[in-house]
Amino acid sequence: MIDAVSHRKLSQELSKILPSSEQVFDDARSLEEYSKDLSFTPAIRPGCVVRPKTGEEVRSIVGWANQTGTPLVPVSSGPPHFRGDTVPSVGGAVIVDLSGLNRIVRIDRRNKIAIVEPGVTFDQLQPELARAGMVLSMPLLPRRSKSVVTSLLEREPILIPRFQWQLLDPLRFLEVVWGNGDTLRTGEAGAYRPIDADKPIMQLAPFGPVQVDYYRLVSAAQGTMGIVMWAAAKCEVLPTVHEFFFVPSDTLNPLIDLAYKVLRVRFGDELFIMNNANLASVAGEDREEIERLKQELPNWVLVLGIAGRNRLPEERVRFQREDISGMCQDLGLKLLSRVCTVNGTQMEQLLGQCNRETPWKLSGKGGGQDIFFLTTLDRTPEFIEAVSAVSREEKYSTADIGIYLQPTQQGASCHCEFNFPFDPGNSSQRGIVSGLYRRASETLLKHDAFFSRPYGIWADMVYNRDAQTTMTLKKIKGIFDPNNIMNPGRLFWAETAREG
Amino acid sequence: MSLRRDIYQALEDIVGPEYALVDEPFLDSYAFQWGTELFRPNGNKFMPRPEAVLLPGSAGEVQAIARVCNKHKIKYKAFSTGWSVYAAPYTEGQILLDMRRLDRILDIDEKNMFAVIEPNVIGATLQAEAMKVGLNTHIIGSGCVSSPLAAATSFLGHGPDSLFMGQAAENLLAAEWVLPTGDIVRTGSLGAGIGWFCGDGPGPSVRAIIRGGSGARGALGVFTKCAVKLYPWPGPAQLPVEGTIPAYHSPLPPQIKAYTIAFPDWGAYADAHYKIYDAEIGYILHRQYNKLGEDLGPAFFMMYIDPTKTIDDLEEMLERPEIKKLTEEMRVSTQIVLCGMTQGDIAWQERALGEILAETGGWKVAAMSDPMMEKFTLLYLIRLGFKGLNMVFSGGYRGSFSQKGTPDFAVGYRAQAASVLAKHQKTGLIVEAGGDSMMGPGGGMGGGGHIGFEQFCFYDPSDLASINAALDYFEDAAREAKRLGLTSGYEARIFEARLTEQEKRTAFLSAPQPALYRYQRQIKDIFDPNDLGDDQYAVMPKDRKGA
Amino acid sequence: MSLEQYSADMKRCIRCSYCKWVILSQIKSWRFARGCPSEAFTKIHTYSASGKMGVSLALLEGRFNYSSEGLLDIAYKCQLCGSCDVACKVCRYFMEPLEMMRELRARLVEEGQLVPEHMFTIDGLRAEDNMMSKTKGERGNWIQGCDVKSLAGEKGPVLFHAGCRLSFDEELSPTARKALEILKKAGVEVGVMGKDETCCGGRAYDLGYRGEFTKYAEHNTEAWRSAGVKTVVTCCSDCYYAFKVLYAKYGLRKNVEVLHVTEFLERLVAEGKIKFARKLPMKVTYHDPCHLGRLAEDYAPWNGKEKKIKGQIVTWEPKRPIRRGANGIYETPRSLLRSIPGIELVEMERTREYAWCCGAAGGAKEAYPDFALWTAKERIEEAQSTGADALVTACPWCERNFLDAVPSSGSNTAIYDIVDLVGQAM
Repeated sequence: MIDAVSHRKLSQELSKILPSSEQVFDDARSLEEYSKDLSFTPAIRPGCVVRPKTGEEVRSIVGWANQTGTPLVPVSSGPPHFRGDTVPSVGGAVIVDLSGLNRIVRIDRRNKIAIVEPGVTFDQLQPELARAGMVLSMPLLPRRSKSVVTSLLEREPILIPRFQWQLLDPLRFLEVVWGNGDTLRTGEAGAYRPIDADKPIMQLAPFGPVQVDYYRLVSAAQGTMGIVMWAAAKCEVLPTVHEFFFVPSDTLNPLIDLAYKVLRVRFGDELFIMNNANLASVAGEDREEIERLKQELPNWVLVLGIAGRNRLPEERVRFQREDISGMCQDLGLKLLSRVCTVNGTQMEQLLGQCNRETPWKLSGKGGGQDIFFLTTLDRTPEFIEAVSAVSREEKYSTADIGIYLQPTQQGASCHCEFNFPFDPGNSSQRGIVSGLYRRASETLLKHDAFFSRPYGIWADMVYNRDAQTTMTLKKIKGIFDPNNIMNPGRLFWAETAREG
Repeated sequence: MSLRRDIYQALEDIVGPEYALVDEPFLDSYAFQWGTELFRPNGNKFMPRPEAVLLPGSAGEVQAIARVCNKHKIKYKAFSTGWSVYAAPYTEGQILLDMRRLDRILDIDEKNMFAVIEPNVIGATLQAEAMKVGLNTHIIGSGCVSSPLAAATSFLGHGPDSLFMGQAAENLLAAEWVLPTGDIVRTGSLGAGIGWFCGDGPGPSVRAIIRGGSGARGALGVFTKCAVKLYPWPGPAQLPVEGTIPAYHSPLPPQIKAYTIAFPDWGAYADAHYKIYDAEIGYILHRQYNKLGEDLGPAFFMMYIDPTKTIDDLEEMLERPEIKKLTEEMRVSTQIVLCGMTQGDIAWQERALGEILAETGGWKVAAMSDPMMEKFTLLYLIRLGFKGLNMVFSGGYRGSFSQKGTPDFAVGYRAQAASVLAKHQKTGLIVEAGGDSMMGPGGGMGGGGHIGFEQFCFYDPSDLASINAALDYFEDAAREAKRLGLTSGYEARIFEARLTEQEKRTAFLSAPQPALYRYQRQIKDIFDPNDLGDDQYAVMPKDRKGA
Repeated sequence: MSLEQYSADMKRCIRCSYCKWVILSQIKSWRFARGCPSEAFTKIHTYSASGKMGVSLALLEGRFNYSSEGLLDIAYKCQLCGSCDVACKVCRYFMEPLEMMRELRARLVEEGQLVPEHMFTIDGLRAEDNMMSKTKGERGNWIQGCDVKSLAGEKGPVLFHAGCRLSFDEELSPTARKALEILKKAGVEVGVMGKDETCCGGRAYDLGYRGEFTKYAEHNTEAWRSAGVKTVVTCCSDCYYAFKVLYAKYGLRKNVEVLHVTEFLERLVAEGKIKFARKLPMKVTYHDPCHLGRLAEDYAPWNGKEKKIKGQIVTWEPKRPIRRGANGIYETPRSLLRSIPGIELVEMERTREYAWCCGAAGGAKEAYPDFALWTAKERIEEAQSTGADALVTACPWCERNFLDAVPSSGSNTAIYDIVDLVGQAM
């Protein structure tokens, strides 16, 4: 932990790079705010917080950090944070708050591309896209302060699996300032400059340039490789008709079969499965309603959206509804327009929301911890059984566990998520969930859960299991952040700065 | 054999004597490659002769070979099916690994829609097996005789079906990769022994350094297995094929339809593609028949579906009034296959296509909807087993202006590309196929967005004057592309016959971001410290400072 | 033609590997997708047609010489089945990989590069007029006791040619006898050469011994002329191909119709001259012999030259006939099988012009018996996969190779010549 003198020196030096007084903060409150989040990650105070407003300022900060060996922790979304990746893991770090880089650089309806800076939130972007007749596929109910770029980079699963040919979709190309200070435009932006509004969008693919997929190096990297200055996302045509349906079931397996059938024909749009607890948390407006819904909702619900866009929308919705209804019948299920008091219109509004101040996971008890990983949909019952068993042993009520199954990559994989709500003011509950979180994670790993986004304690678990990947990533990191200034201590860097 | 006896023995001990080839006839058969005459001077059909050709039977054998090569600093390169100069040695003293013995489909996970394959599985066999369980595989533009593993891990990979099935890079899930050093990396979920379903992670992906846009083409290690995504196929479990050779055709159920759609101008052509992307229709979208040139393509294919005719009938065919009319009609056209997952789906797609055509002034070319031609088109585009027709004129065939980009972008350079080729066709030393001899995917990647307009030049590889005329054209095309501000294109490494060593070494300097080649140098220094991969993996020369 | 005359083809070969596979559009499974036995067995690219294109070009360019290690093996570990030729011609009209490979062999023989096992066989041919290394005096044993005209001394319109395999292979000879009996019973005025029959010369041709081929071709056609033969019928597909195609190619067969026995039998069934009295309740699958199928299209003489149009498109003037298996004898044997009461015919995956070879031809059985048997076992496995009780063929070389392979194949698939089933059903 650096002392007050060092803090002042940091802010003094950074003030030379960012001359505005509104860009450099080292007051106690600011430092406290960034020292922790809502996860169980140990709190560590940063040395300073900076808020650059231009790419040039970011480059200067990174250059300075290399010269001085100062760790940087990039943060784009506003609070609350959940994953531990925005909390420094070493003392004396500088938080690079990118929320001030919040330009929507470009919206191109014809090519369905939006280019945004890291401070742009879904709440800011979606209305602009809507004006252009587009929408960006979102993860589940991002909070108001959620950065679009962060969501894309961290591979948060989107609700519409058929738009994911690969796991990083809908992320396309981007510009990154690496930890070594170089700036690179990735994908086909490497050859052309798509941010120049007077030039047409030339190309779109995220691959490359040449023989390296640079954008994959900043994907799920938790800010350990570089700082993204802007990113492009593939958007979709805004639906003009959008209906939502529910398929309830007492048991999970029939819904898994249904999901596979729907994925097989690539019908529908939004497609996910939730248990009653999570659907209640999503749909309930307050704690009372959440509790009521938890009791009334069926054990499992498959939620399905069917959208008609700018061409024959009603017809598209109609034939898909009929066909999917037939699939339901074959499995002894029913495609309903409401389940309990939750109806399709409500779900449409909910899933289009990106402006909640309080994230949905916290609305039940005020606090919560998640465990999520990738697997295949057919294996999820096994993981659910395993988590339930550990929960019982840890004396956490299984009725409170929220479960969210999101098919990804057009069905090749599935994001499997467990939510453990608790009252953060209740130390006993907090203690139970803290212990449960670790034990359940270890158990899930033993069952072959793939923690593809290795936050917090998962990093050690998953990298210890795959030594070759760890060694390879370290070598790659040595190219793009040789001085280990980018969020050291996260992912596979177990040690502090200047690891050899 | 110039390999030291003990080194050869060490290699032979790994694969067994029957799979270690050092006799000259064998080595020359592997040096013989398609397109070598554009790559080496004086119409030479042979790349440098390899020192030896080894056929490993497992990843373990590949590792062992890599260790021997590292110990003795011997360059080596692997290939899957081995089509094109990329698969041959680039320098003297290189060992080739023919991955032929690894040819199994290890698994088809029907529910989660992916397959685990070895290098010598070809698109046709994977498709045949996938169709048995109601699935299909992406087949790259070079056709179903190519390796999906090679495409996914090592080279380009777009194709006619990319609109629906993505391009090869998008389809790669986990992979087993023997690094140049002989270490094995298993990417994504496979690294932790968890399975094949995810190629990314944990955290940032090792997969990043596998391929980028163009792939390492065998110059950065060897891929011994990978998983590729599969896609829905609502057609029969076995592709029905009828007809007399070569005019096979596939009578498919009415929910699978093929059309040639034509437009009044290129603006409408581009507009239609955007509308197709928006509407999310189409299983295959590819400007296929123009591949033999706007002046010749329609005549050729009309002739081809008559099994009593041969290329000797082409001249007569070209004179027929109805063919001339068809040729004019098809100048601004492309092919599309609609595949309805259900009756409701195909009905909707048909209506959507009809609207798009009406809005853009386009139409379905009636002659191409003749039942026999439609069935032929379906077989052609679904199985992609007629790609050898690219070379039907005289064997020489290579692309220029190999760009993929938005429809507006592609249509934007089309006219100049056509003009350059037309000028060179007047020499009579390359085929006078019409200035627009462009073919390419209409989707380019999953969900669309890209058109590929690759401009093809046809020449006779047995005729040095024709080869030189082709090289003249490719040089001119490269100049024009540069003038238009285009990148060098994805096949730019083909035409090196006239480059000096200095020009090859400094080619990277004209790239928009030369630093990329420094990064690739750094990656190579780490993962191939003994420099055993050839320069298909492009790097900044070691003596170059900064960029 | 000479090997040099194929150098343009060699340079125009694009090494696409179509030659290694069954016609790509026809692939139905991973298991039965391969078309080239040489490449499938060795797993080495060199043994494919495109491999041999490269080898031949290298040879012509002097990159190595005729005595180079491995060259003989590359040229001769191949049945010359023509699968590569057909697959190539789907897209490359007049590439001639099969002819090129034959020229390579002829060149090797000219250069004195000889496969020892083939030398032995050819020595036997020269001495005893057969490819079975048997004494010619025993040639007529298969018809002993059979009342049939000898066209060695008499005249007759129809000659039944048994061929070397059926003449000397005691296990298979009854097929020839049965065929003859059927023809006689149907009222055909048929005769034989008996012990004076000689080899057709076809296999010698395939081994590269052109001189021997010419000698037997001239002898046979003269013998036919002397006997006033108008139609030659044979059970042997190799002989059928030699007479129909090779003799025509060399301008030696004039005004003599060549029929495979299945063609003749089909006619007789249609005319009601063969009647089936018994049912044969059997599920069978039919193997297309290469020399009756894709290789057996009529040969039309052509003497033209290359003509480039549109700058560099290679065409031919006058129009060049194309042989790519379209008009092989495929339907006739099938029709014959279907006409036998009780027979259920099921198809293998690789049939007709893209059928897998039996493994016996091209000198493979003589010089590379393991390779020949492996090829046959592949086919037997394919037959078994159809659920058929029996694999039926129309060539004694195919039949022999299948019979030799069955014991080690692990299969109990029965092997028949089509004539045997016809005979059983009559």
